[in-house]
Amino acid sequence: MTFINARSTEQAVSELAVRGEELLVLAGGTDVMVQYQRREIRSSAWLNVRRIEELQRIDASTATGKPLRIGAMTSHRAISRDTLVLRYAPALAAACATVGGWQTQEAGTIGGNICNASPAADLPPPLLVADATVTLMSSHGTRTLLLSEFILGRRSTARRSDELVTAVELQPLPDGAGEVYLKVGPRRGMEVALVGLAVRLMFDEDGVVTDARVAVGSVAPAPFRAHEAEQALIGSRGDKSAIDEAGAALSAAASPIDDARAPAAYRRRVLSPLLARAVAQCYTQDTRR
Amino acid sequence: MSAVGTSAVRSDGPIKARGQARYTVDVGLPGMLHCVLARSTVAAGRIVRLDVSKARQLPGVHAVITAADAPMHRNGMLIRDQELFASTHVRYEGEPVAAVAAETKAIARRAVELIELELEQMSPVVDLDDAVAAGARLVHPEWQTFSMAIPCERYDNVANELMANPPGVDEAFAQAAHIVTDEYRAGRQYQAYLEPKAVVAEYEAGRYTIHVSHQFPFALRDRFADALGIRSSDVRVVGHHIGGAFGGKLDLGIEPYAALLAKATGRPVKLVQERTEDFITCPSRENAIIRIRSAVDAEGQVLGRDFDVLLDAGAFAGDTPFLVSIALFMANGAYRVGPTRVRARAVYTNTAPTGAFRGVSGTYLVFAVERHLDHIAEVVGVDRMAIRLANVLRNGDPLLNGQRLDDASILGEAFAEIERVAPWAQITAPTTTTDPTVALRGIGVAAALWVTNPLPGEATLRLGEDGTIHLISAANDNGSGAVTMGLRQIAAEEFGLDVNDVITTMPDTDVQGFDGGSQGSRTTHVVGRAVHDSAIELRRKILDVASKHLEADVADLELVAGHVGVRGVPDRRVPLSQIATLARGTVGSLNATASYAPALPAYDPSCASGFIFSTFPNPTYHVHLAEVEVDPVTGNVSIVRYVVAQEVGKAINPVGVYGQIQGGVTQGIGYAIYEGIDIGSDGRYQQRTLASYRLPIAPDIPRVEALLLEHPDPAGPFGAKGIAEPPIVPVAAAIANAISAAVGHQINSLPIRPNDVLDAIEAGRAKLQQ
Amino acid sequence: MDLSLCVNGRQYDVDVESGTSLLDVLRDEIHLTGTKESCVEGECGTCTVLIDGRPHDACLLAAHAMEDTEITTIEGIGTADAMSPLQAAIVGAGGVQCGFCTPGIVVTLTALVAEAPCPTEDEIRMALAGNICRCTGYVQIIDAVLQHTSDLSTCAESAS
Repeated sequence: MTFINARSTEQAVSELAVRGEELLVLAGGTDVMVQYQRREIRSSAWLNVRRIEELQRIDASTATGKPLRIGAMTSHRAISRDTLVLRYAPALAAACATVGGWQTQEAGTIGGNICNASPAADLPPPLLVADATVTLMSSHGTRTLLLSEFILGRRSTARRSDELVTAVELQPLPDGAGEVYLKVGPRRGMEVALVGLAVRLMFDEDGVVTDARVAVGSVAPAPFRAHEAEQALIGSRGDKSAIDEAGAALSAAASPIDDARAPAAYRRRVLSPLLARAVAQCYTQDTRR
Repeated sequence: MSAVGTSAVRSDGPIKARGQARYTVDVGLPGMLHCVLARSTVAAGRIVRLDVSKARQLPGVHAVITAADAPMHRNGMLIRDQELFASTHVRYEGEPVAAVAAETKAIARRAVELIELELEQMSPVVDLDDAVAAGARLVHPEWQTFSMAIPCERYDNVANELMANPPGVDEAFAQAAHIVTDEYRAGRQYQAYLEPKAVVAEYEAGRYTIHVSHQFPFALRDRFADALGIRSSDVRVVGHHIGGAFGGKLDLGIEPYAALLAKATGRPVKLVQERTEDFITCPSRENAIIRIRSAVDAEGQVLGRDFDVLLDAGAFAGDTPFLVSIALFMANGAYRVGPTRVRARAVYTNTAPTGAFRGVSGTYLVFAVERHLDHIAEVVGVDRMAIRLANVLRNGDPLLNGQRLDDASILGEAFAEIERVAPWAQITAPTTTTDPTVALRGIGVAAALWVTNPLPGEATLRLGEDGTIHLISAANDNGSGAVTMGLRQIAAEEFGLDVNDVITTMPDTDVQGFDGGSQGSRTTHVVGRAVHDSAIELRRKILDVASKHLEADVADLELVAGHVGVRGVPDRRVPLSQIATLARGTVGSLNATASYAPALPAYDPSCASGFIFSTFPNPTYHVHLAEVEVDPVTGNVSIVRYVVAQEVGKAINPVGVYGQIQGGVTQGIGYAIYEGIDIGSDGRYQQRTLASYRLPIAPDIPRVEALLLEHPDPAGPFGAKGIAEPPIVPVAAAIANAISAAVGHQINSLPIRPNDVLDAIEAGRAKLQQ
Repeated sequence: MDLSLCVNGRQYDVDVESGTSLLDVLRDEIHLTGTKESCVEGECGTCTVLIDGRPHDACLLAAHAMEDTEITTIEGIGTADAMSPLQAAIVGAGGVQCGFCTPGIVVTLTALVAEAPCPTEDEIRMALAGNICRCTGYVQIIDAVLQHTSDLSTCAESAS
């Protein structure tokens, strides 16, 4: 039996280099421990990376347009309240505030959320609309992947067994833009998203959409950017016909399933009106309007 | 009054708040082993082979028992249809086939994994209409061999059928201006008490001691004895704090398994259920189909009615044969209705046996009747409140069993109270919007009568040597505070003492007399009355001893501030503490015991067949109003306002009363819009954990406005009536009425989930466009 | 595997398998049974403890990961002789019925008022999202916190 409480990135990476195949990597435990308690996974060798302090920082460069960098072990709670995140990635802050309840948000981390890669995970959609990248470190060095290349499918990522996710970087919300994360579920908390929709829109001075990012979770094996829906919005003023076209494209791109929480038909039918709501809310955020 | 009517703090509040209260899950005994049950993973099948040999051989396992090691006879509350372990067939997913006792729970679990169960699967009977159709496969082909504790009208897959067929029903339909026909469906509701079912059992010198958090220790004792084929005095039930129950811990459950293993191993045995196990095997509130046909005149009066209910008993009858009777009381709701034919059938299916949950059967019966009334109002073109006020029951009106409701006009007062704080015309004034993103708003109202369970209860009061009063009773409260607040306050009031000078006990069937259990709102009313009656007797004994000591006439004595004194002579008095010690040498310790059994109202026994629960004692009256907002994008429902008008007799503890109302309404909200159990055609639950079975959480629950009506009941302690069960009963009805009004379409099944709301909104919009 | 934990300011040495939850260690090894087990999947909050002052579900914490943290359980709230004023407020307001959720709720709310001395009603409700109560319907618990915080400090009684 082994239980290693890593104190530094270096220590974690060297452990993974030696026996990454056999180690169960533990971050906040809000997914791994549930699976362990259900006896879906078993392990006698654990690597706890949750308390590596250098991975719990949020940084932004002073230069405009430079990415916002969030350490992989930063908690949902910390992210949701961070002034930099609230300013430059408000959709991500909103998403982090909806993961479970307070207890889940204290334990859970951004790194754990993306590595668990649940189709219904809350953080990927707002990260996708911000062109997020994932930094992975191993004894061989560092590599960076787009989040869309990192999440491969349901509970499947591109992380190799000797790699540690150390950071997520994302493009800050520019001026003249707005973004939202809308999560669908019957209660105001503790929900696994039935649909998780993130939208980031950039506008010119006349309110015409110059750039659009639409990402959705819980309607496919992995969260994805709906490029056709984005194209339908670009050049519009968020008017009904553009939104209808975008909504139809979004629904067509989705492949939801029935499960114990909701039928597929429900997930599909809310997409278009939800997109309309998201677009309207993006408009209200643009401080020039 | 100094104690009754105050919000006295419950005696177990501090230990619960500090984590010091001991629940059965916290009980540990030296040498204790741990039990895990092996359960069927399919809903129906013949047992081809059950091999526990590998489990028995696992190091750390002390015993494995199966049907071969348990008594062969069947047991049951009303119909003896249940085996302790499945012997030849399994009839629901989760039915126990074996029990393991081992040094640790982990070893017991591993042993269960080594048990080999080979089943020849059978097609499960699941759909209620299919189960009662001609030629349906019988869940129990051998049903005629099952004996009954109380006669039931049974046949094929029907465990009991209630039938009331008075004259005049068909004539009413012949003259109707409108015939309104509706079908309603309600799903199961899981009690979801936070303390999972647990037991610690010991066996010594021929007797079993059962440590358990149980609502009805005496019934458990007797059912346990019957199941094991032993005398009831060979069983002792010791109660512990109950971490929630709501009806789910009222009957025999997992106790026999731990007990039989304790006997087999010679060690105490503890069994604590895991949450999924507890969920899928719990005697949940039954699912039901209700079909109503009403003959209505031009003004909306119901001239006659046909009312048919199918209740899902699950694989074993449990209490469901009893529950069919409730349809007779609820078929007309709180309103005057012409002749009503009622048929209600308890139906066997290959699903987990259902049982009691607060407001048994009433939650869906009131839903159906109140939804149907809103539908009638729409058909006839009458306002929904006006039709209720025109037809509401009044003093002297009868129930369908012939019982007279002497005080039903309280319903009218309850409606008036609601109107005072929520004026109907104002709050239902139409707001038209064509914007499909704006929240839809709706108001719903529902009324109900509910019953107080009349089972008897006994209390002994003893004067302590320190001047305290010991209240010795098997009464317990599954959280309500009926014992730790209400009974203590009543006793304190009787003796002019501080509430903290009244000491209560935990149930122990070796020590206390019979109590009918924590159910049906009975404890404050019934045991409170027993406390009152025994207090009168104890006072008499105290004054008797004091009169000899003070050399005064009993008539000149008064009991004030913990002393007995001579009226008008301040220095001639003796403290209660001294009286107890004085009595030791003469008459012995000063006790008084009283038992109270409420009188049952007169009724007409010929009103129906299959009618087991035949009267509605001490009815209380309730009107609820709900205001909802519906999100047309997601179908989410917010309850933005909720008002309750409830008749309580006398509020012994206002904070306690409010807690039952707020808590009961919250459970009703869960039942109405959040808590769904979908059962597949394989007879298995699709929701299996609290992640998919949504319980109401703090961000979503409105602050209930509670308007209390107090018409004291002369038979109750200080006029108190039962209050704790009914707050859940009208909730789904009021909310469903509100949602239907908001979306402009009749919604007829529970729970009302977001997808159902979107369907209804679409249907409502389609109607508007026609 | 040996493990040393600091619980309520006191050091405890235990020996358990890797992967054993903090909840199991608290209840079965250290015999602090105030923290309850109910759903074992992070849904109900009956096992809420504070880790360095922040609420966590103990059922989902690997005990060995808790070395070098300060763990506070319900037994560490109040003194040996008395409830904390917040506990007393919850009891007095009717916020305790069956009591099984109460330790977890007390722990969460203790952390809330330490972080936000004047919480609004909505902040209290959202803070309690991970603590299920099946008995009370929450309102009396919420009112206890509002009363307690308005008594304590210069919080204006919140109207919301």
